[in-house]
Amino acid sequence: MNPYLPRLAKIEKIKIETEDKMLKTFELSFLDESERKKFDFKPGQFCEISVFGKGEAPFGIASSPTEDGPIMFTVNKAGVVTTALHNLYEGDIVGLRGPLGNSYPIELFKGKNIVIVGGGFAFTTLRALTVYMLDNRGEFGEITVVYGARTPGMFLYKEELSDWERRDDLKLYLTIDKPAEGWEGKVGLVPSVLEEVAPSSEDAFAVVCGPPIMIKFTLPVLDKLGFKPEQIYTSLEMRMKCGIGKCGRCNIGHLYVCKDGPVFSYAQLRELPMEY
Amino acid sequence: MKKIIEKAKFADFVGTLLSDYEVFAPVKNENGLVLFSRISSPEEIFLDFRNSKKPPKEFLFPQVETLFEYEPGKVKVPSVEAIAQRRLFLCVRPCDVKSFLILDEVFDTEEFQDVYYVTRRRNTTILAMGCVDPPSTCFCTTFDEMGPFSREGADAFLVDIGDRFLIETLTERGESLPLESLPDASDEDVQTAEDVEKKAVEKVDRKLELSKLGEKLDGMFESPFWDALHEKCLTCGVCTYLCPTCHCFDISDEALDSKGRRVRNWDSCMFPLFTLQASGHNPRPTSKERMRQRIMHKFNYFYKNYGVYACVGCGRCVENCPVNLDIRKVLEGILSL
Amino acid sequence: MEVEAKIREKAKELLESKAVDVVIGFEKGTLPLRSTPAFIRDSSETDRLVWNSFCENNLATYLNKLKGQKVAIVAKGCDSRSVVALAVERQIKREDVFVIGVPCRGMLDRRRIEEAVGFEILSALESDGKLVVKSVDSERTLDREDFLFPSCRSCRHRNPVIYDFLAGEKVEESEVDEFELVREFESKPPEERWEYFKKAFEDCLRCYACREACPFCYCEECFVDSSRPKWIEKGLDETDVQIWHIVRAYHHAGRCVDCGACERACPMGIDLRFLTQKLNKDVKELFGFETGLDPSVQPPLSTFSLQDPDDFK
Repeated sequence: MNPYLPRLAKIEKIKIETEDKMLKTFELSFLDESERKKFDFKPGQFCEISVFGKGEAPFGIASSPTEDGPIMFTVNKAGVVTTALHNLYEGDIVGLRGPLGNSYPIELFKGKNIVIVGGGFAFTTLRALTVYMLDNRGEFGEITVVYGARTPGMFLYKEELSDWERRDDLKLYLTIDKPAEGWEGKVGLVPSVLEEVAPSSEDAFAVVCGPPIMIKFTLPVLDKLGFKPEQIYTSLEMRMKCGIGKCGRCNIGHLYVCKDGPVFSYAQLRELPMEY
Repeated sequence: MKKIIEKAKFADFVGTLLSDYEVFAPVKNENGLVLFSRISSPEEIFLDFRNSKKPPKEFLFPQVETLFEYEPGKVKVPSVEAIAQRRLFLCVRPCDVKSFLILDEVFDTEEFQDVYYVTRRRNTTILAMGCVDPPSTCFCTTFDEMGPFSREGADAFLVDIGDRFLIETLTERGESLPLESLPDASDEDVQTAEDVEKKAVEKVDRKLELSKLGEKLDGMFESPFWDALHEKCLTCGVCTYLCPTCHCFDISDEALDSKGRRVRNWDSCMFPLFTLQASGHNPRPTSKERMRQRIMHKFNYFYKNYGVYACVGCGRCVENCPVNLDIRKVLEGILSL
Repeated sequence: MEVEAKIREKAKELLESKAVDVVIGFEKGTLPLRSTPAFIRDSSETDRLVWNSFCENNLATYLNKLKGQKVAIVAKGCDSRSVVALAVERQIKREDVFVIGVPCRGMLDRRRIEEAVGFEILSALESDGKLVVKSVDSERTLDREDFLFPSCRSCRHRNPVIYDFLAGEKVEESEVDEFELVREFESKPPEERWEYFKKAFEDCLRCYACREACPFCYCEECFVDSSRPKWIEKGLDETDVQIWHIVRAYHHAGRCVDCGACERACPMGIDLRFLTQKLNKDVKELFGFETGLDPSVQPPLSTFSLQDPDDFK
């Protein structure tokens, strides 16, 4: 089995997620249906999506393994491959390699209270994790989600969010940077909202994904709330090419983000050089 | 078994190899460089060399490799048969042979096997040659069980004992070389070879004491050591491309209208683009971070992951660095901290 | 050596008085026939500085990385021209650079020396125009004039064209026809020239040592690294390699001081200068311009004047 070969996939659906149109969600289905059955993934893993002729880039899987059907990725338009993806239409063919990387430690999370903290468009794999937990609700304790975006129009997965708001087995706190007309939710940056919500660290794990600046200020809050580094997980991003730990470029210390990550605990990251 | 090939009959011997294998041997090209190359006749071989300019890794891990070709709706997998011919690497030095074992750690893993590298590797027989007169830039003896006559990884081994070669088979593959018609080595021959070996090993005396290296490097990420070290580095790719163990690569698509291919090309952690992210953020923006990465990768991270240093002491980087940034001096600097 | 002592003394003075933050010069290399760039920031370390016939690097390339700092640089004739040209191109501020000018008799080509003697050289000693090279059991004495780098053989600017301090007696300039080899090459028929070109770049590895060694390759993003648009691929396809070198030569038309750093950096020994020399000759003939000599003259390819030759009407 050649790990460099993508399988062909069709774009079933494209959805513009954000008001600035820079984020689109793609739902992909393998041309060969038997591939979908073999595609056994866990929340937190990623795939390398190819736009043939332009290149390949890694994207976190946004759908949960409990969701049948097409696999979902949310793409931020930033470089050559993402721009090419944004220029594609439903029905176009792309390449898909995966699932790659490690996943959120679901086994550790079982029976515990999970606090999910997301900022901006880093919420992709957090969606996978949240949907997975909701679909296996009995296996997890309390679920708290704190998700911040710049403006109301910049949230991803607005449909899911409004579903989650209506549920009583999940506490959802959405926040935006500055007050906006028609917005009745919280206003303020994620770290301060998290401090306000103050979820308990007892028997709990926190998963934090967002821009570096948000992470920088969120960690002290978690620390204050009593979360130890072993209780805090994150998903990192790096320039990647092979996605399988051979091309040498995505390493942090002796670990490769594509192979030993992208999910790391803060206990692990503390032992690694700050090179990301 | 131990056999003798008279130098006058070496061309004949190579001739028999050529009928069985694709043979890659050292040649001197028109520009005067000694390089490993596929030969079609024994006359092409050039043996009066210390080591080749480029390491022979390119014949297992080419500088440019087509991963696949594509056209609309189709991905064309390259035929493995096309790279599965019986090959023989002739007169490679022990350091280069060791480098293959190091590259194996990366490319031939249980989880993901690099089919391009592995296919070639498994079809290659290695007839190595000891270094009778190692140059002063070599420091292979620094590494465990390495030296100018190290037989690790070779299928058979040649020793130059004057007007003849002693050839020693080491593996089953080595045994299957066409050696039956050759005379056996006499006790005298064997003794001469041992003397030659002893002299060569003694010559490689720039031996660094690496046992404390991992420990030192672990605490050194923020050390001011890197501030001084990197300044003269040009961040070119000479050390990387001439290194037998460097294996980082780039993957890119080459398109012509709607058809094209995906290739992998050698890349270097010294280049500015290596870790540049689409957002513009670069975790290694200057030569300082990149020099640190090079040293850390070879002497700390790789060792942590695989139990072996990603360096064989061949000295090519020492010889060819445009600014004479000497890795031996760097290691001595680290060890003295 | 007198020159060496003067360099050390000046460097010490500059660092002690804090006139500069760093002195870029040369120190002893780890191999015979090599000196290596040195960055001295502590006035107590100036004795590391050396001056000999192995100081082959063009240190001006480091000026691009030290912007904002006050730098002293040991500069041969060609290097000093690089300083002038970098200032004209506004990459450095002339007042931030203290030029320790060193009149130069040319640097020695270690690869040709090794080839000529046939044994591995373990030590080398220069004196009075002679070079004595030794291995464990052999010794040869060579005339240094026979082993100058090609760029040094055709050098017409041995003395620094600018300097804030001159670390030695000026030497006589050579009247050599710097474009003699170019003229020879030009006289060949196009097919022969193309064959030479193809052959010359067959060994190119795309390691970019030539680019990094050159003071004038200071673009933040080199055209080969551009992905939007992607001009050429990154592999060894003949046309990609050839375009890389042709475009690089053209980017240096009228900017190259012919220091030869590119050629010396190339691990494969590729004859890089025949392209840039030809373009330099063209610029000299068409515009009467040679870079790095006059800080007040703008390069012809960055300006225009109504007097520019106009023979393509």
